[in-house]
Amino acid sequence: MAGVSVAAEWQLLYNRYYRKPELYQMQWKHVDLTRNKVACAPFGGPIAAIRDDAKIVQLFAESALRKLRIFTSSGRLISETVWKNPGGRLIGMSWSDDQILICITQDGTVYFYNIHAELINNFSLGKECFESSVVECVFWGNGVVCINELFGIFAVPDLKNPRAIKMSDCNLEDLPHCIAVIEPQYTMSGNVEVLLGVGDHVLLVEEDGVQQLGVGIGPLQKMVVSRTGKLLASFTHDGRLLVMSTDFSNIIFEYTCESALPPDQLAWCGMDSVLLYWDDMLLMVGPYGDPVRYIYDEPIILIPECDGVRILSNTSMEFLHRVPDSTVSIFQIGSTLPAALLYDALDHFDRRSAKVVYLYYLNASRNYILMKSFSSSYLPLGYENLRLIRSSLSEAVEACIDAAGYEFDISQQRTLLRAASYGQAFCSQFQRDFIQEMCKTLRVLNAVRHHEIGIPLSIQQYKLLTPSVLINRLINAHKYLLALRITEYLGMNQEVVIMHWACTKITASLGIPDASLLEILLDKLKICKGISYAAVASLADKNGRRKLAAMLVEHEPHSSKQIPLLLSIGEEDTALVKGIESGDTDLVYLVLFHIWQKRPSLEFFGTIQARPLARDLFVTYAQCYKHEFLKDFFLSTGQLQDVAFLLWKESWELAKNPMASKGSPLHGPRIKLIEKAQQLFSETKEHIFESKAAEEHAKLLRIQHDLEVTTKQAIFVDSSISDTIRTCIVLGNHRTAMKVKTEFKVSERRWYWLKVFALATIRDWDALEKFSKEKRPPIGYRPFVEACVDADEKAEALKYITKLTDPRERAEAYARIGMAKEAADAASQAKDGELLGRLKLTFAQNAAASSIFDTLRDRLSFQGVS
Amino acid sequence: MAQKQINILKNIRGKKCLVIDPKLSGSLSLIVQSSQLKEHGAELRHLTTEPVETDCTKMVYLVRAQLNLMKFICSQIHNDTLKGLQKEYFLYFVPRRAVACEKILEDEKVHEMLIIGEYPLYLIPLDEDVLSFELDLAHKECVVNGDTTSLWHIAKSIHKLEFSFGTIPNVRAKGKASTRVADILNRMQAEEPVTSDMGIPEINTLILLDREVDMVTPMCSQLTYEGLLDEFLGVNNGAVELDSSIMGVQQEGKKLKVPLNSSDKLFKEIRDMNFEVVVQVLRQKATSMKQDYTEISTTTQSVSELKDFVKKLNSLPEMTRHINLAQHLSTFTSKPSFLGRLDMEQTLVEAQSYDVCFEYIEEMIHKQEPLINVLRLLVLFSITNSGLPKKNFDYLRRELLHSYGFEHIATLNNLEKAGLFRKQDSKSNWLTVKRALQLVVEDTDTTNPNDISYVFSGYAPLSIRLVQHAIRSGWRPIEEILKLLPGPHSETKKSGFASSPSFDTIPGSLNNLEKVADGRRSLVLVVFIGGVTFAEISALRFLSSQEGMAYDIIVGTTKIVNGHTLIETFVE
Repeated sequence: MAGVSVAAEWQLLYNRYYRKPELYQMQWKHVDLTRNKVACAPFGGPIAAIRDDAKIVQLFAESALRKLRIFTSSGRLISETVWKNPGGRLIGMSWSDDQILICITQDGTVYFYNIHAELINNFSLGKECFESSVVECVFWGNGVVCINELFGIFAVPDLKNPRAIKMSDCNLEDLPHCIAVIEPQYTMSGNVEVLLGVGDHVLLVEEDGVQQLGVGIGPLQKMVVSRTGKLLASFTHDGRLLVMSTDFSNIIFEYTCESALPPDQLAWCGMDSVLLYWDDMLLMVGPYGDPVRYIYDEPIILIPECDGVRILSNTSMEFLHRVPDSTVSIFQIGSTLPAALLYDALDHFDRRSAKVVYLYYLNASRNYILMKSFSSSYLPLGYENLRLIRSSLSEAVEACIDAAGYEFDISQQRTLLRAASYGQAFCSQFQRDFIQEMCKTLRVLNAVRHHEIGIPLSIQQYKLLTPSVLINRLINAHKYLLALRITEYLGMNQEVVIMHWACTKITASLGIPDASLLEILLDKLKICKGISYAAVASLADKNGRRKLAAMLVEHEPHSSKQIPLLLSIGEEDTALVKGIESGDTDLVYLVLFHIWQKRPSLEFFGTIQARPLARDLFVTYAQCYKHEFLKDFFLSTGQLQDVAFLLWKESWELAKNPMASKGSPLHGPRIKLIEKAQQLFSETKEHIFESKAAEEHAKLLRIQHDLEVTTKQAIFVDSSISDTIRTCIVLGNHRTAMKVKTEFKVSERRWYWLKVFALATIRDWDALEKFSKEKRPPIGYRPFVEACVDADEKAEALKYITKLTDPRERAEAYARIGMAKEAADAASQAKDGELLGRLKLTFAQNAAASSIFDTLRDRLSFQGVS
Repeated sequence: MAQKQINILKNIRGKKCLVIDPKLSGSLSLIVQSSQLKEHGAELRHLTTEPVETDCTKMVYLVRAQLNLMKFICSQIHNDTLKGLQKEYFLYFVPRRAVACEKILEDEKVHEMLIIGEYPLYLIPLDEDVLSFELDLAHKECVVNGDTTSLWHIAKSIHKLEFSFGTIPNVRAKGKASTRVADILNRMQAEEPVTSDMGIPEINTLILLDREVDMVTPMCSQLTYEGLLDEFLGVNNGAVELDSSIMGVQQEGKKLKVPLNSSDKLFKEIRDMNFEVVVQVLRQKATSMKQDYTEISTTTQSVSELKDFVKKLNSLPEMTRHINLAQHLSTFTSKPSFLGRLDMEQTLVEAQSYDVCFEYIEEMIHKQEPLINVLRLLVLFSITNSGLPKKNFDYLRRELLHSYGFEHIATLNNLEKAGLFRKQDSKSNWLTVKRALQLVVEDTDTTNPNDISYVFSGYAPLSIRLVQHAIRSGWRPIEEILKLLPGPHSETKKSGFASSPSFDTIPGSLNNLEKVADGRRSLVLVVFIGGVTFAEISALRFLSSQEGMAYDIIVGTTKIVNGHTLIETFVE
């Protein structure tokens, strides 16, 4: 059956198949792993190599200076730098989860490099490590544990927040045989735990205690903890491989090796087996059955992954992993499982007539009907197969899709997907998205696996890593185009890619003039809607490119982001214009205060005077809080009337001041303020009215002040002219009232109203009558009538009603005192039917209004409901 | 929103003193009950110039972002510091932090003592169809001080609405502030697009109108039931406060709060009617009830008839409430002074007897009638005449200062800046506007109205006439008239809704596109910048209820106003 050649490359470990396809031929030249210290990052990450200073090596045609070189997994050089760090020998080197290269030297200095071989940070493990050299270290994804000459153990539990802690002292007298670490995320306490192979047992060291475990199982020569921290593989002094749980409670399996020599490398391959590497032999041991042996004639390095182990040699990179079930079901020799039959069917189908193939592509479902109508002799062989598996077709399709995902070989992926797609055509209820989804994933994987990029992720690693982390890694490696394409392809947010690109571009483009760099940047930034131009501009500014920053910030649509940035790069005037345009007064204030603080007053005044909104906001603020400064502003802009209004207003503030009790000398300053205001008003031609009013006000205050002195009553100041006149009349001081009247040229009309009302107030009806007879009142007798009616003096009112000349007025006056008949008479005398009707209505309404509601209420007040 | 306020209190542990901006407390009471606040250990105070006496060591200020309030807070904190009191201070700005306010706090060196937060309350629903931005001073700040902070606030509120109802495709604005709001809204939409796949937006059209465009209407006395209640008793946050004796409750001198909103079925029925008609309606209802009662007590009734009767009895408290209120109102409306005033308003609006009006107002000043009443008519007089001839202008100003005091120079200055009382500089075009828009309608039937003019017994509010046109056909047909009114106008239509109806949809053609998915009518949001009166809202409800109207109308306003409250903002 199918796939004989495929399965031939598998090895069987008990009942499981393993394979190790070659991922890359290494592209590097003259790299000898034995001469170098090498650190390989998981998830297909980069490889760092530096000449091993712990070994004596022969120098060929190379500098004596050591170089730290960083390669992709395909052996392409990413970056290199000369290693010049002091601190003695390089003890440990490893990649963190964030793909930061951590290097630890003898003196306990920890150096952080990015993948561009740029030193980005360093810190010291502390005095004890500085004084007594670090001799060994063990890393995990986000931390490291070191041991120094004095057997002190130190841990950095979080490399993102690098701080060394000293672990509990365990009184060692010698270096332990081996060290292993259980990461904090897998321990009960949440703190790092260190396992030391000491004597015939293991010490578990924590920050606050030491525990003895597994007495008698050792001495252990090598230990390695599985990826999830649950299992420990170890190699004993007598050549046994022991796999046990990390709490040493039970031994899961044991295998006796041919040699008691501890292996150079010990590693977990996924969760199922353990690899041991000696000089030229790689041994894969599982819980059951005979181990698998591989022979290598060149040195190798084992790189554990979540689903297998990558094997790096001088010339190639391989990936050793278990063959997935779906692949087995298709390619296992002699398999008659549905998936294998489907794969086979495609093979037959491919070899049949071109016509059928054409039809197949034309329309899958129609094809099915077409084939059904063929006579059986014409039936393609593939169809026979399909008939066999009809019931489990969808399962077979699924297996083919799944198997395609595990393939590194692109043509193999294609064949498997075609088989799936072929089967799917005959399978009505199959989820069509599965194939599409897998194609998408594989396109991404194939793109990053390409040797130019060199990230050989398996599908499982990819799913564990997540697409967004992959994108970040591509960005960090400056593979922007690919990152952008992938984000676009997967429908992810492109902002992060574009943003990072823009930042790198700006940093790297010192030689490019602002205008051309702006064009380059804009061309890309526009790809991403809603990207923060302000952030890019801010970065340009930090790189000393203020002009470019100004040009960029122009494109920022969010005023609230744009304006603070404009201010920080000294573009205040632009900021002010933008703030005003935005309509957000808060932003205008922000700019305003900034300029206010920065510029001399006069210049500040000039700036805001030209912009009405800025000016108005300033005036509003200053009116509330910086009164004096506001005067300066008005004076500088020649708005004398506004200064005058301010002074006038101040005079009232003085009056409100509780200290200024009425009639006090404070009137002096008040009057002075008002006079000053009057003067200012008169200097402008348009404010004659205000000027006169201020003059009168000052005069009034003086008169009122005098009145208070003479009458000894503090009731005049700050009342109006009319009130002053009324008060005088009420007090019987008619002469002063008259004086005030003439002083302020009060009209006869107003005078009559005031005096009539004042007399009515004190109910001096005789005086009122006398006043009415002084001369013919200029506004007639209506005020007299009104005053009496208001005071409810009908008799008095009647005296004047008869004197009303206009019969209409008379009619209404009668009406007001309830004399309906007289009212009606007067109205008819006026020959005004409309008025008559209206009066009748008023009477009716007045009477009715109350009676209506009374009756309404009566009707409703039954049975206690109200 | 209520939850947000509770959370603010919850997050501050222990006993605390909540000091609220008095202007806020009314509107907040519509959202959170004060008992709820007490549950969370909060002692409630109003922010004034006076220091707050309390044992609490945690002070929580909840204030609008107003400059003068900052001074109060600063002086209170200074006061505590002087006394050596150590307290924790929290300051929450409504609706958001403001640079200018924080600058004062910084200058007064209290900024660092405060923990500052935001309470993003941008609008308050006053009723089913009325939203308020609660910006009392918006109009004055814009037209007198040139401070357009409120415009941003309004645009922001509308933009926030768009996040729930979709981008509003049609925007029509009239007036300087309105066109600016439309402009800011546009910018906001560009900055923060409303990403929606809601299909057809629920709000079809936004009409923005400056109060400045029509200052005539609020100066006239409202004659609808709710309008009159506001004119005479003052409706605040959906309630009137009056002596309990008026409501027939015998509790000496005690004030009673009567809620007025559409959850009161009877009120919902009569609030928009002309008051004359309200009296008739109440009488009819009472009569029919009386009749039912006599029948019940004299003849034998079936159980279902009894049930119906009892159901009607349930509405009795509402009946009593409105009869009491209406009776109270009628004591004002029957006064000759009120009738005289209505007469004068009519004469002013007709604008054909200058001298009569002039003398009437002059006499009011001489009689020293309440300043605001005088100013209301004076503003009406000035607007309908495009200002007064210089001689009259100066004369009346002088008489005002003489009668009410020189401090009112500031008030006059404000009114002049706002264009409400000013010198005549051109021929008045009020008559043209009045005629073209048919503002004065003869023979208005208030009982069965067929036009919005019923709300002022014969005067159709200019603002609502404009809205009427804007809904029906957009601005284009009345552009010539719009040019005679203050401020520019604008009209925009968002593309992107390929299927949205065009401006020129024939009124009443309720085509499918205007219906929101579940069959409701789509909405028109009418926003009044500078305030709206109850009478105008009534007129809009009337329009909305007309046969052939394709939309439901929602009203947005900076504040519910009347002539009195509006003029008050200008008085210093």
